Amino acid sequence: MTSRKIGLTLGVFLTITASVTGLVIVPNWQFRELQPVKKADGSQYPMPLFGEQAKGREVYIDQGCIYCHSQQIRMKGYGADIRRNWGTRRSVPRDYIHEKPHQLGTMRTGPDLASIGSRQPSTVWHALHLYDPQITSPGSIMPRFQYLYTELRDGEALPPGTFEADVVKIPPQFQKNGVTRLMPTDRGKALVEYLKGLNKTFPLPEAAQ
Amino acid sequence: MFYVFVFIWAFAIVAGITMVWLLAWAIRQGEFKNLRAGARSIFDENEPEGKVTDYFPGEAPLMRQLEVRR
Amino acid sequence: MSAAVETNPQVEVVSRIEVDRSAEGAVTIYWASALFWLTIATIAGLISSAKLHSPDFLGNIEWLTFGRIRPVHWDTAIYGFGGTAASGTLLWLQARLCQTRIPFPALLIAGGVIFNVGILLGSIGVLMGQSTGVETLELPLYAMPLLVIPYVFIVIANFKMYFTRKTSHTYVSQWYLMAVTVWFPILVLSAEACTNLGAVDGVAQAIANWWYGHNVVGLFATPTGIAAAYYLIPKVIGKPIHSYHLSLLGFWSNAIFYNWAGTHHLTGGPLPAWTITIGVVGSLMMFIPVITIGINHHMTMLGSFHHLKTSPTLRFAVMGSMIYTLSSFQGSLESLRSHQEITHFTHYTIGHVHFGMYGFFAPLMFAMMYYAMPRLTGNEWSSARLIRIHFWCTLIGMLVYAISMCYAGIRQGMMMNDPTAPFLDIVRFTVPFLWIRTLGGLILFAGTIAFLINFWRIVQPHRLRFVTPTLMTTERDYNMLLNKEKELEQNDK
Repeated sequence: MTSRKIGLTLGVFLTITASVTGLVIVPNWQFRELQPVKKADGSQYPMPLFGEQAKGREVYIDQGCIYCHSQQIRMKGYGADIRRNWGTRRSVPRDYIHEKPHQLGTMRTGPDLASIGSRQPSTVWHALHLYDPQITSPGSIMPRFQYLYTELRDGEALPPGTFEADVVKIPPQFQKNGVTRLMPTDRGKALVEYLKGLNKTFPLPEAAQ
Repeated sequence: MFYVFVFIWAFAIVAGITMVWLLAWAIRQGEFKNLRAGARSIFDENEPEGKVTDYFPGEAPLMRQLEVRR
Repeated sequence: MSAAVETNPQVEVVSRIEVDRSAEGAVTIYWASALFWLTIATIAGLISSAKLHSPDFLGNIEWLTFGRIRPVHWDTAIYGFGGTAASGTLLWLQARLCQTRIPFPALLIAGGVIFNVGILLGSIGVLMGQSTGVETLELPLYAMPLLVIPYVFIVIANFKMYFTRKTSHTYVSQWYLMAVTVWFPILVLSAEACTNLGAVDGVAQAIANWWYGHNVVGLFATPTGIAAAYYLIPKVIGKPIHSYHLSLLGFWSNAIFYNWAGTHHLTGGPLPAWTITIGVVGSLMMFIPVITIGINHHMTMLGSFHHLKTSPTLRFAVMGSMIYTLSSFQGSLESLRSHQEITHFTHYTIGHVHFGMYGFFAPLMFAMMYYAMPRLTGNEWSSARLIRIHFWCTLIGMLVYAISMCYAGIRQGMMMNDPTAPFLDIVRFTVPFLWIRTLGGLILFAGTIAFLINFWRIVQPHRLRFVTPTLMTTERDYNMLLNKEKELEQNDK
């Protein structure tokens, strides 16, 4: 009865190769043709990340932001993504050609971040929000990322190798234990740079349909 | 794009034909005969059909009578 | 071609007791690891759950921040618990149905140890921030060989048993078990290649990611669970399954449709419409296998429900098979675009995943353990009360969890689709339900502890037997076992 055994094995093998081909290989062929587009000022969209932003993306991944924040805008009329001002247009495959690993996300315990940079361009806001979400968004259930900041008490000197320009002042009503200022660590600074750079508002032609 | 669709169609047709062929082959092989016997293949002389094989510990009918301890 | 009487004369006949005895070491090590990881996963889940309603709980410890403990919860639950529980089930069930001794027991035991080291290293890596960033495949690459190698051993052992067996029939459960061993390695290798090894990026990677994320449940956990149900329900009540024809239909439709369903996890996302449509069609077609499998399991049970009172195995198996039907219906409906518009990014999905994994898969694995462990070790479960506690905690905890999360998810989704509702109001609305979820998790945890105690006692050496095995239901069985054991002991000398 070996033929029957081989038949079963082959049959189930076929079913999975079918779906690998259909859902993994074929879409990849389709997307491989996608290239960045030229903007009016000569630069390209989307641009690969480098420097601080690339480092910030690493922090975004290692802190697991994806488990509460998506980075994809659904089209007009499907959900309220655009009406909530999370984005100006739906996202399309071209937006993601440089993303490795992708961070599309499937949860919105927190709001979508596809274009958080255009919605919230302030470094100070991001720093305070990451340090203690209750300062900027009372009632939020986001964790505090205090370990991305060095807390400075009144009159305390800056840590060596840091600059006064990076200091973030905590509003007086939120100061606790004499901590009045924050110095972001390298990772904290990079994460904010990454978030500020998240912007999928450039009107790609295929997103207009 | 065109080649993608050609590929999808070609693949679907090949896969479909393979499936039908496999089914026909399985029928020829007698895969669908004797199905009742297959369902009974988990029973044997010691654990025949009709015998319940699982109880809460200490609550099987026989053990209540025997109370054997090893 | 009368398959019914055909046997392979070259293979000696092996009695059920010998099969069980040969499997004891390997299977026990897999199931003990499963329980260990279930405990860890439950604790990680409880910490993540608590952090969502009380963000300052264990706050400011980078290792335990939500974004790290949450993937550890998934990895320990799916790979740690699911992987080992399913492997143990696969080995024991295949050995029994093939009526052969487990091949290479030492290799399999070594595999079990390596697998545990892999999960441990991987989880610590994620806690340290080395997650790959691909949802469902977070374990760092250096941990993967440690998970793949043991699985290769299992695949080899499984093929060896299947192709050198004595019986001529391939029972339904065996179809599923063979399918799992073919599917899972392909699944993991293609997914790893497409995501962490970087063969594709961007949206194509997202599709590969969710093709995998859905299939790891559908082509690994589900078939193993169904295989367990197909064996345990008829075996415990002593009644053949309702319709063997239907089981054939159920198997092949499951095999064909399930692996296309994954893309519904990206509904509304930046994908070409056809990929999503395939996912929705695949999910809806799943009604065919789900209904046929449901008919088979439930019709077999019809008229035998009174055994639920007396059999712990049956309780868990029936709970699993009933929730399989319910959660699969839920899943198929959930894939519809109009449904996804509301529930896609919400806690509803989380509720559904747990309903399936802890309501269907886990109880069937527990049923498997409750049935097999006394037969493997020759010991009996030490306490009927602890089994009852475990059952009721699993059932109630599961329902509390699933109902609160699904309800909260629907409301959350409706509020999110109303642009006038401030986002923080939605967050505040969900908080009470997140508390209820923690409560449900605690109930599940209590059940796990009860099971752990019982399991700890049953794996003690034979001289510590607590009661005489009740699995022997007639005196003849009992004497037979005694004689067989004496014989085997003499052989050992």
